[in-house]
Amino acid sequence: MAWADSIVGVLKKYEVRYLNYVPDTKIEQILEAARELGGFEALPLTREEEGIGVVCGQALGGGRGVMLCPTAGLGNSINALAALAITYRIPCPVIIGVRGDLGEFNPGQVAMGQATQGILDALRIPTYRITREDETEKITEGALRICYASEGPVAILVTNELAGWKEGRKRD
Amino acid sequence: MIDRGAASKYLAGRLKDEVVVTSLGNEKYDLRSGGDRDRNFYNWNAMGMASSLGLGLAMARPELKVIVYDGDGSLLMNLGALATIAMREPKNLVHIVWDNRSYAMTGGQPTATAFHTDLAAMAKAAGYPKVERVETQTAFERAADRALTEPGPWFIHCLMEEKPVAGGGLPSPTAIKHRFMDAIGARR
Repeated sequence: MAWADSIVGVLKKYEVRYLNYVPDTKIEQILEAARELGGFEALPLTREEEGIGVVCGQALGGGRGVMLCPTAGLGNSINALAALAITYRIPCPVIIGVRGDLGEFNPGQVAMGQATQGILDALRIPTYRITREDETEKITEGALRICYASEGPVAILVTNELAGWKEGRKRD
Repeated sequence: MIDRGAASKYLAGRLKDEVVVTSLGNEKYDLRSGGDRDRNFYNWNAMGMASSLGLGLAMARPELKVIVYDGDGSLLMNLGALATIAMREPKNLVHIVWDNRSYAMTGGQPTATAFHTDLAAMAKAAGYPKVERVETQTAFERAADRALTEPGPWFIHCLMEEKPVAGGGLPSPTAIKHRFMDAIGARR
């Protein structure tokens, strides 16, 4: 997808090498664009909290990584964001594939999806929503710039308005 | 049973360019008392994150030996990291786990390792190629010496007895970070 190519192009421009992830259909489109472009290392994780630790470790070593996960995964990573990335002021870009929003079919995704913005706001994590393909490059680049300037976590939300919603089984 | 303070002193005396990242438990104070170094990263309160921090560091700096100073309670909180580390197989990672079978900082409540759980067996089952389980200072020294010179990832499971720790207090989180990153020449 063109939006995924835009995100990956900006990641490369900012010398991000490590794509640490827990998968999601939107995240897979980013990983696919990255495989096509080349020059990245993708690391699958068992849980999103791990990924925050790994991104922070990569940053401490002078490398650049991002965490890629769905909204549900943000919930699994909160204390690591607070106690590591915010407390130690470590740049930690988190690219979140939105679930539980416009067009959602899965009731189990909705509570976390709807709470996402409020949780990020409560932690004072700068958060940027991408809703259109033509703004993807600018928002991704802007988010990375403030991330590395402020030395802390920043969230980029890949929305259903941009990437579509997932088809799935309806409730009985 | 191992005395973590004595073992930390031994390790500190052997370290040169290696970096150490700690968990949030008392092991960080023993490491600091054993010999404070710019290349030690002390963890104020990110429980479970030492192993993941160590993996990220080991990926970004393959030429540096990265030592993780973990505890049983902390590792139990992030057991998935065992699978991730074994999968990625960073040859420069040494994962030391101090197992006192308790949450020592909160009143000594038992962890699962006080019952049936064996962390060395879990590391082996996760796929770590080098796993040692040590119960004496001599065995610890031998395992540490090998881990510092031979490729890993290593897992050293240290059965220890919790004792009151010397020292206390840490620099601010950002001071710890800046000192550490400057010491290894990390780009900000």
